[in-house]
Amino acid sequence: MTLLSLSNITKGFGEGEVLSGISIDVQQDELLAVLGSSGAGKSTLLRLIAGFEKPDSGEIVFDQRVVAGSEFVPPERRHIGIVPQDGALFPHLNVFDNIGFGLKGDPNRDARVKKLLELIELTGYENRKPQELSGGQMQRVALARALAPKPKLVLLDEPFSALDAELRERLRLDVRRIIRAEGVSAILVTHDQEEALSLADRVAVLREGRIIQVGTPTEIYNAPADIGIATFLGDAVLIDGRVEDGKLVTDLGKLTPLNQVQEGQTGVVAIRSENFYLQPNPAGDSEVIGRVFFGHDAVVEVQTPTLRIKARSNGPFAPEVGMKVTLWVRGAVNFYPGK
Amino acid sequence: MQKPPVLLAVLGVFAALVAILPLGYLVLRLFEGFEAAIAELARARTLELLLNTVLLVTSVSLSALAIGVFQAWFVVRTNLRFPGFFAILATVPLAIPSYVLALGYASVFPWFSGFWASWLVLSVATAPYVFLAVSAALMRVDVASEEVGRSLGFGRFKVFLKITWPQVRTSATAAVLLVSLYVLSEFGAIALLRFDTFTRAIYNAYRSSFDRTAAASLAVVLVFLTLIILFFARRYRGDYLSQRAANPRRLRAELGPNRVPVSVALLVIALFGAGIPLAALLNWSLIGSSSTDFEKLIMATLNSAGIAASAAVLVSVFALAVAIWTVRHRSKFAATIEGLLWSNHALPAIVVGLALVFFGANITPWLYQSIWLLLVAYLILFLPNGLAAMATPLSQVPRSVVEVSQSMGDSYRKTLTRVVLPIASPGLIAASALVMLTVLKELPATLLLRPSGTETLATRLWSATEELAYAQAAPYALVLVIIAGLPALLLNASVRKTYSEVNQK
Repeated sequence: MTLLSLSNITKGFGEGEVLSGISIDVQQDELLAVLGSSGAGKSTLLRLIAGFEKPDSGEIVFDQRVVAGSEFVPPERRHIGIVPQDGALFPHLNVFDNIGFGLKGDPNRDARVKKLLELIELTGYENRKPQELSGGQMQRVALARALAPKPKLVLLDEPFSALDAELRERLRLDVRRIIRAEGVSAILVTHDQEEALSLADRVAVLREGRIIQVGTPTEIYNAPADIGIATFLGDAVLIDGRVEDGKLVTDLGKLTPLNQVQEGQTGVVAIRSENFYLQPNPAGDSEVIGRVFFGHDAVVEVQTPTLRIKARSNGPFAPEVGMKVTLWVRGAVNFYPGK
Repeated sequence: MQKPPVLLAVLGVFAALVAILPLGYLVLRLFEGFEAAIAELARARTLELLLNTVLLVTSVSLSALAIGVFQAWFVVRTNLRFPGFFAILATVPLAIPSYVLALGYASVFPWFSGFWASWLVLSVATAPYVFLAVSAALMRVDVASEEVGRSLGFGRFKVFLKITWPQVRTSATAAVLLVSLYVLSEFGAIALLRFDTFTRAIYNAYRSSFDRTAAASLAVVLVFLTLIILFFARRYRGDYLSQRAANPRRLRAELGPNRVPVSVALLVIALFGAGIPLAALLNWSLIGSSSTDFEKLIMATLNSAGIAASAAVLVSVFALAVAIWTVRHRSKFAATIEGLLWSNHALPAIVVGLALVFFGANITPWLYQSIWLLLVAYLILFLPNGLAAMATPLSQVPRSVVEVSQSMGDSYRKTLTRVVLPIASPGLIAASALVMLTVLKELPATLLLRPSGTETLATRLWSATEELAYAQAAPYALVLVIIAGLPALLLNASVRKTYSEVNQK
């Protein structure tokens, strides 16, 4: 069932449009990630859904009710939870009162807050002030506060961006677990492709105010709609190619296209760095000229007779600098006609 | 840590002694005449003064709070046009000594006197303190927390009450306590408008009788009231606002059709706070210009400037010594001295003046009726201001710079003169200038302690108003505003900060 539906939303501030013609649906119990670099209009999109901004045109329907467009429902009557970037806990209230803030006059307030504290694993922190919490704890309290009045939808605005890498990963899993446990739909806005791909049921890619692709994480990763997304989603090597007999002819040999191609087309082939396979071979025509070791894997720079490429290789077994190798491309690749 | 140069400590201890001796002497003398003092205080009149004072302090504090919060909210948090202009407008009363404001009104409206008159003048004169504190706090409130409040089902007004106000409240309370200290020690405006509070009664008692027990005992009650407010002020210094800069994005409420009425309201407040009284004074100055004794005016201006400049030099020397001592050589002893000096910042000037009259007349007759005693009064009154203003630029000189200089072979003293003072000098000069401008405006202590025959702008103005000769007083008032008030406003750091922050997007 469709919970939220945006149709043809446009919004500008003074000079130029920030969002143009945005249409997207969110289903019940779905976690949608909106992925885009900074300035793409992600935050504006969230603020429109929450009701902090009015769209210039278009319509937003939430829970079978028009909330923006022909009518405007202010944020306090939408019942959509929000978790801002830095948590934005109320500095004058303790953890308990922060979480219970939206439960004014609810007879079950105490029980609800206690349950949420359990869910976010912060039982015992009731009387702490926000400034006594760590970054990750603050974010969990902010999430609990948004979930307390049982909204049908919660908006997460780059909730992990201020945290360090290790904490971010743990909190991601926590957030997903908590959102599932509460049975709530969520929209997560992020510039981190790994975050979007690992957390979401569906990903919408936003660029310069437009949604350019929507799909499951696998679809988005394996078949980026254009070269821009392909390079944004992860390291990709771009080389020229031509379609012959349904195959892509490139300097790295004949490759299998993943998408629909037409005979005789020329364009660019995007190969992910993990799709390369380096076979040590003293008679090989390619040479390893650089290596950056990351532990679990390594990025190896290889000079072929015509190209210089970066390949991702299994860390401990990555070839050393100076070794001769043969370069293979594993699996199918994406082809983007024209140039 | 480096030992402080002995000179600094000597100057600091001397300043502290000067600061506490006169008041101590006042209390001592009062104990000698204990029964007379008690009899004096037991009169019904004392109760009346107490009620008047409390009434004025309370009503002015509340109305200054209302005005300041009103101005701050609309300037900082709405889409009002020209917020920078309105921010300046809200602070303009700071440029006008409150007795000049009172004079402006009284010169046009003969009936302008008593409680309501004092209330109006002091409310508009002190509202800028609330405005500055509350607008700074409003700019630090995290806008995202207000938005979360909206998303949790609270309307605009409820969000203000439950989320915004609690984050602004501490700053607002501190400002209101500052206002109440201001009103409690205010003498000029209240005396000019003939409303009987402690300050006016102290002055009249001192003037009208040789028995100074009455004045002294009233002064002690006034000090006691001050201490009560200071006690609360201490408690409200704690602030749980986030130190990090809040969301730079600011949420500006749409005023829509209310834009015009709000702008008009802000203009009307400014009219009461500066427009009407300044227009009146300008008018009187022009009408009376043919009869103005310019020689007297110029003499008074020169006297004022000379005295204020000497006071500024004196205060700056001591302030700099104590500031270097406490900022760069933190120790328990230094902190104690600083605390002693600082405790004077709220003392009503009339009390300091009175105490020095006693002290001078009885202990140091060779100082009495000399300019030196007046300078001592200024030192006591304005050393805290100078200290606060000089500590900031000094503490901003990075320790590492000092250490680098020393590592290159400069002695500590050389480092001080070659590195620390030059880096801090713009701030230090501004601090001295501010002290000078503040001294220019001082009235009660100057009245009590000036050598007979020495007239300043403030005392000339005062004697003219005592004779109800407003046209004569007006030019003195205008000159005061122009040479003291406006430059002080321009130098005021928080005014400048507020202005530039309000103007950002």
